[in-house]
Order: sequence, then C-alpha cells, then structure tokens
Amino acid sequence: MGGFLLRKAGAALVVVFLSSIVVFIGVRALPGDPALALGAENRDPAVLAAIRHAYGLDQPLPVQYVKWASRALRGDLGLDARQLPVGHTIITRIPITLELALLAVLIGVVIGIFAGVIAAVRRGKLSDHTATTSALVGLSVPHFWLGLMMIIVFAVDLHWLPASGYVSFHEHPLKNLEHLLMPALVLGTGLSAVLMRQTRSAMLNSLTADYVRTARAKGLSERSVIAKHALRNSLITVTTVVGLQLGALISGAVITEQIFVIPGFGRLTLEAVNERDYTLLQGVVLVAATGYVVVNLLVDVVYSLLNPRIRVSGSTTQ
Amino acid sequence: MRGSFKRFAFLALGLVLVGALTAAVAAARGTKSSASQIRNGGTLAIGLAEEPDALDPTIARTFVGRIVFQAMCEKLYDLDSHLNIVPQLAAALPQVSKDKLTYTIKLRKGIKFNDGTALNAAAVKTTIERYLTFKGSVRASEISPIKSVDAPNATTAVLHLSAPYSPLTAQLADRAGMILSPKALASGGSFAQNPVCVGPFSFKDRVAGDHITLVKSPFYYNKSKVHLASIVYRIMTDPSSRTQALRAGDIQVEDRIQSTDVPTLQKDKSVTVSKAVTIGYQGLTLNLGNKNGLLKPYSTVGTDLARSQFLRTAFDVALDRTTINKVVFGGLNQPDCFPIAPVSPWYKPSTKGLQCNLHSNVELAKKLVKASGVSSPSVNLMLGGTDPVTARLGQVIQSMEAAVGIKVSVTPTQFTTALNRADAGTFDAFAIGWSGRVDPDGNIYGFVSTKGTLNDSGFTNAKLDYILNGARKSLTTKSRNTLYRAAMQIIHTQRPLIYLYHPVNYYGITKKVTGVQIFGDGLIRAQFAGYAS
Repeated sequence: MGGFLLRKAGAALVVVFLSSIVVFIGVRALPGDPALALGAENRDPAVLAAIRHAYGLDQPLPVQYVKWASRALRGDLGLDARQLPVGHTIITRIPITLELALLAVLIGVVIGIFAGVIAAVRRGKLSDHTATTSALVGLSVPHFWLGLMMIIVFAVDLHWLPASGYVSFHEHPLKNLEHLLMPALVLGTGLSAVLMRQTRSAMLNSLTADYVRTARAKGLSERSVIAKHALRNSLITVTTVVGLQLGALISGAVITEQIFVIPGFGRLTLEAVNERDYTLLQGVVLVAATGYVVVNLLVDVVYSLLNPRIRVSGSTTQ
Repeated sequence: MRGSFKRFAFLALGLVLVGALTAAVAAARGTKSSASQIRNGGTLAIGLAEEPDALDPTIARTFVGRIVFQAMCEKLYDLDSHLNIVPQLAAALPQVSKDKLTYTIKLRKGIKFNDGTALNAAAVKTTIERYLTFKGSVRASEISPIKSVDAPNATTAVLHLSAPYSPLTAQLADRAGMILSPKALASGGSFAQNPVCVGPFSFKDRVAGDHITLVKSPFYYNKSKVHLASIVYRIMTDPSSRTQALRAGDIQVEDRIQSTDVPTLQKDKSVTVSKAVTIGYQGLTLNLGNKNGLLKPYSTVGTDLARSQFLRTAFDVALDRTTINKVVFGGLNQPDCFPIAPVSPWYKPSTKGLQCNLHSNVELAKKLVKASGVSSPSVNLMLGGTDPVTARLGQVIQSMEAAVGIKVSVTPTQFTTALNRADAGTFDAFAIGWSGRVDPDGNIYGFVSTKGTLNDSGFTNAKLDYILNGARKSLTTKSRNTLYRAAMQIIHTQRPLIYLYHPVNYYGITKKVTGVQIFGDGLIRAQFAGYAS
C-alpha cells in the first residue's frame, strides 16, 4: 500500500509540475501585452516599462517561471494588479463557489430524482409528459436569461430576495441562504433536468427487472417496491451523474456568479482573464489544476482501498 | 402517490410558465418621495462598473479607482461643477514665479490625515517625492517637470520645475495631488492594502472582486458635512445585474448605466437618472506615419488615407455624426468634432470659428474622393472591442463611407490586442476613445505631438509641436486658448484623428438618497450625500 501511494503521489507531483508549465505558457499565449492592459490609458513607454519591471515581465520566460514556481512552492502566489495577495483571494473565493455548487446539487437532486421517479412510475401519462417537457425546458433555458428573469420577479418586483451579492454563512446564515437561493436554483434547474432524465431511464429499467417483480409478488406495497427496490438500484447511475455534474457546476458557475454578483472562484477567473492579470490568472489556474490532481489522487486511493486488485494490478504493471 | 403527482404537476407547470409569468410582470414601481432634509447615518452602496486597481495613488491607473479615492483621498486641488480648478487641501491656487519654474502652494491649516497625524508641507514633499521616485509610479510621468520640492514651513510647499509646465495645477487636481500619510508610508506595509489620506471617509476593508468599504472619518476637517456612516463600493461588472440591483434596492447608486437600460430606469419612479456629458471623446485615429511603431521615427505609411488629405476630408465629411449617435447609441451621446468637450470651460474659446458638421455631405465627399485621385479607395477600420455596440458603430461607418465610394472593411479586435496593433502601427483607422482630462493638454498633446506617447497616428507637424509646447509653457488662459485654437485648426485640416462624439454617462440614483454629485469628469461624488429624512 505504501509503495502504491508513493507511486501515485509521485505521478501527481509530475502532473502538477507539468500543469504549472502549461499554465505559465498558456497565460502568456493570451493575445495582448499585459502591460498595456494593466496600464489602462497610460501608454507612456516609461510607465509600461515600470509595469513590466514590477511584474517581472521584462525577464526571460524561464527566469520568470523559476521565480514564480519557487514562490508558489512556498505558498506565495504573489500580488495581483490590485496589490492584494493572490493566495488569500483564492482561498476566500473557493468556499463560495463550492457552497453554491453544493446547494445547486441539493436542489437538482431533490427536484430531478422526484420528477424522474414520478415520470417513470406514470410512464406515458400527463405527469410523464409534463416532467419530460419541463426537463427539456430546463436544459434549454440559458442560465443568464433565467437568472435575470428571476431577479426581475423575486428581487425587483416582489422584493423577496436580494438581487445580488453574497453574505458569508458565519456572518449571517439566513442572509447567506437568501443570497444563494436564486443562483442555486438557476444552477440546479439544469442539473435537475439531467437527473430527471437519468432517473426516469434507470427507473424504467428497474421497474421491469425480475427483482422488482419478485418484490411485488411477495406482496410489498407499491410505495415500498419503488422506494426500497427500484429507486435504490437506480440511484447508482444517478450518483455517478451527480459526481460528474458537480465538476461541471463548479466551472459552469461563472455565468451565474457574474449575473448574481457573487464573488466566487468562477468570477475571479473571468476577471483575471479580462484584466490580463497574469499573477492572478496563473494562481487561479494552478490552484484549479492542482485541485483536480489531488481529487484524482484521492479517488485512486479510495478505489485501491475498496478494491485491492487495483493496487495489485498497479504494482504488476510497473 | 396521487397527491404527490398533483403537487409535482403544479410544480412542473409553474416552472414551464415561469418565463411567461416573468415576461408579463409590469415595470410599475412605487414612488418614493425625496425629502430635502438629510439624516445622519446609513450605508450607501455604489455599484461600480469595473474593479478599481491598487488603492495607492502612486500606482493607480483606473477610472473607477478615482471614484473611490474621491471619498477618501483629497487632493491639493479639485474641480467645481463647471470643471474649474479650485483649492481643496491647498488654501489657494498656486503662486507661480515669473520664470514659471516655481510653484508655491499654501496649505489649509488644522487638517489631519485619517490616522490622526497632521497634514503639513513635509507630507506634501514626502508624497510628491514618492510619486517621482517610486518604482512603477504612474504619476512620475504626469509631474515629471518637478525637479524638487521644498517645505520651508508647515503650511508652505514649493515645487521647483525644470521647465515651465502649465498643466501642472490640473495634474495636482487629480491623483498626483493626493497627499498620503507619511506615517502610513513609513509603516512598511503595502499602502494599497491600507491607504491613509485626508478624506471624509477612511478605508475599512476590501474583498477582492466584491467590495471596498469606507467608513466616516473622525479626523475629517469638515465632518459636519458628512452624513453617511459608510460607503460600500460593490464591484458589479455586468451592467444588467447592476441595473437590477439598483431597482431591487441592493445598491443606491449605479455607475454608468448601459444605454439599453436608460429608458427603463427613466420610467422607474423610485430612481433618478443623472447624466453627465463627459470630458472624454470617441474618435477614429488614422494611421498617417506610424510605420515603425509608436515613438519610432515617423514616415508615411503609404495607405490611401495617409497619402491624400482630400481623401481624409472626404472620409470625415461622409460621416453623419447625428445618425451615428441615433442609430448606434439611441441618441444618448453628444456628437461633436473636437477633442475638448462642450462642458469644458476651454471648449468655446478654443473651437471658436471652427466648423463642425454633424451631418454628412455626400456630394461634397464624392467630389473630394474624386479630387484625391485615388481610384476605389479602401480603408481597414480596426474596432477596439468585440461587443455588439462597437460592431454596430463599425457597420454604420462602413455604410456611410460606401455611399461616397470609400470601401471600409471592419476588423473587430479585442481591446488589448487592438492597442498592441495601434502601437505597432498595423492599422489604417482605429476606433478608440479617451476618457478625457480637465486640461486641454491632456486631450491633445499626447495624441498629435511628435513626442506624444499616445500618437498612434504617427502624426508629425513641426508647427503643431511648436504651438502645443508653447501652450504648455504659457500660463495665461487667454494665450493658451489662442494657441489651442491654432492647434485645433491644424488637427481639423490634417485629420490625424476624426472626432465623433463625447460620451454621455448615465447614473442611476435612488430617490431615497440626496446629495450625490456628478460632474463632467464622470466621477461619482457621494462623500457628502445622505439619506433623505
């Protein structure tokens, strides 16, 4: 097990190192001189030279990389164009996006699974058609449109919810929920549509399976057959989809965060690109890439714990 | 199960109908009365269109940064509502020596920074020396003629110049005139992370990408005029979200409403829409001599436009500025032909006698094209943006020029890339704007003088250089007006730039709030605002 972990951790480090190079070069491949972007209207050559110097852009690329990477290894991602520490900014933004994504998943799961079960149980009937059509609408409606419509109705006209902004949970739990409800609904709508279709499909398979017929033959109530037998088996597929969708939700939160003015990780990435803030953008992409690598590493470890054959086959192929 | 189905059916139907429901909701709003009395206390939330950069005037570059500084970093000089320069931290306008090389600035007495330390001439010296020498200072080039600073006594600062420079007072009415607390500078921490100046509000906190909070200063010399307890600047880059946040009451002031939202807000009875004709302009830079790159020796680029002054005139005459404003901007901007805006006190005297045709003259333009001798002239127009409004501007210009026989191809280009191309000289015409400066020098010199750092046109004209340098040395308004009128005549004839309009900014302010001021510089002045009682 120790050897397996070491091999996986070593591979992860190599991937992070290669990612850092890709991030570094990728950021510099963006069109436009960052000094011009940072200089705003000031294009005095002396000012631009000062900006390049301040951000180390006047040094050869390998030197820039080594300086940045060595600082990053010590946990210092540098100062952004606002002269604020990048590391601190990222750390404060990630939980906001995660909270939003988890709330969206919760909404998506509750609506999606419930609608999927109803549609499957009442296949071909009005409720099935309504659920299927709603899912199609949910998948088709763009987030920005739905978001704006919800703002107009629930914030501008009814004044039930705030139109924008974010209050942290520890600061004010209720206000936190008020601020996140609409964005989570917007994000959750798409997810619920996907889950509804998946649940319906899996449930239709389950409901015709032998074990369900057996359960009914044993005299179990229909509610018990559906909830304890058919749905439980269908949830395996649904859980896989939820896992895959969570990643998509985090990346897809960019637009929602922009519309609802939520200072999340997605909006931070967008700002960094728009402002050509190399230091910030490098930090953001590096953290995201490292996050993916770490999660994959953890998944590998969990797999190997659940199924010892994985680490055995891993060692024999080395 | 049947009950669940019914509930679900209702839920699903509700979701399907949400679009129709929301679209049907009328825009009717409750009227809020505005009282004349201002009560003390409360927080004002201002939705900013962009995020300010560093909150250190030494390195600050953004327009929105100036809005935040307005409430927490006062300057030696400020502007009044007519854009005249007036003393702020200084007791009077500077006394200028006969040789124009010494500026003596008297400071107001009894003023304290927001850390409780006293503002004095030594602080002015420390600040200006920092602006001149700090690595990465953006202010250094703005006040580069300052050779040294003396502080003979606590209330007198003396600036010694290496050459006469009449725009200096205007520069000191902007970020270069903001005086920083020497104690804060000496603390060794990042000034941008904890800025301390003289101002009605002091810095409290900043969450990157989200908000900046200022709180009422206990040290401000005129704190009886300050009503609000705090101001929160919220970063809201999406214009629709900004407008909806204003309507929902999340913010009380909206920075720069997008043109499509202006009519909606004008109908909203709870909101006042204020407009300000700005001192900036939007125009077309024509590449005449930028063959080798910005500030490298200029020589004709040999394009149709560069070769023929007739053709440039035809290009200009074909443009119908009124129609452009109507079609592209819904009539919200102010069409004009000059780099100085009508709101500026310099406008009338410096444009006197110069013709500005807001409508096209197709017949004249056709004759000029013919006179140019260029058969089937063509121009590539680079747009400094890829948004729909900029694209529409390009299309309208394209059709207007087509009517007189000039073929225009339009290239929408990402803004920073467009700046790169402009500096490199790889363009024929470039649609770009300028946010404007109070002193005419800031709107002209950099763009058309041979040594101008924004001269993407590569325009060089010895007579114009002589006039503009003369205007920099001349101190009297009368003589500067005369010189700028002469400069404008040359620009108007040679057309290295064709000016189209002055942007008009629109701001939304809830009627609950009173005392928010917006002048021609476009800055939101909310430091003395408050909630109506």
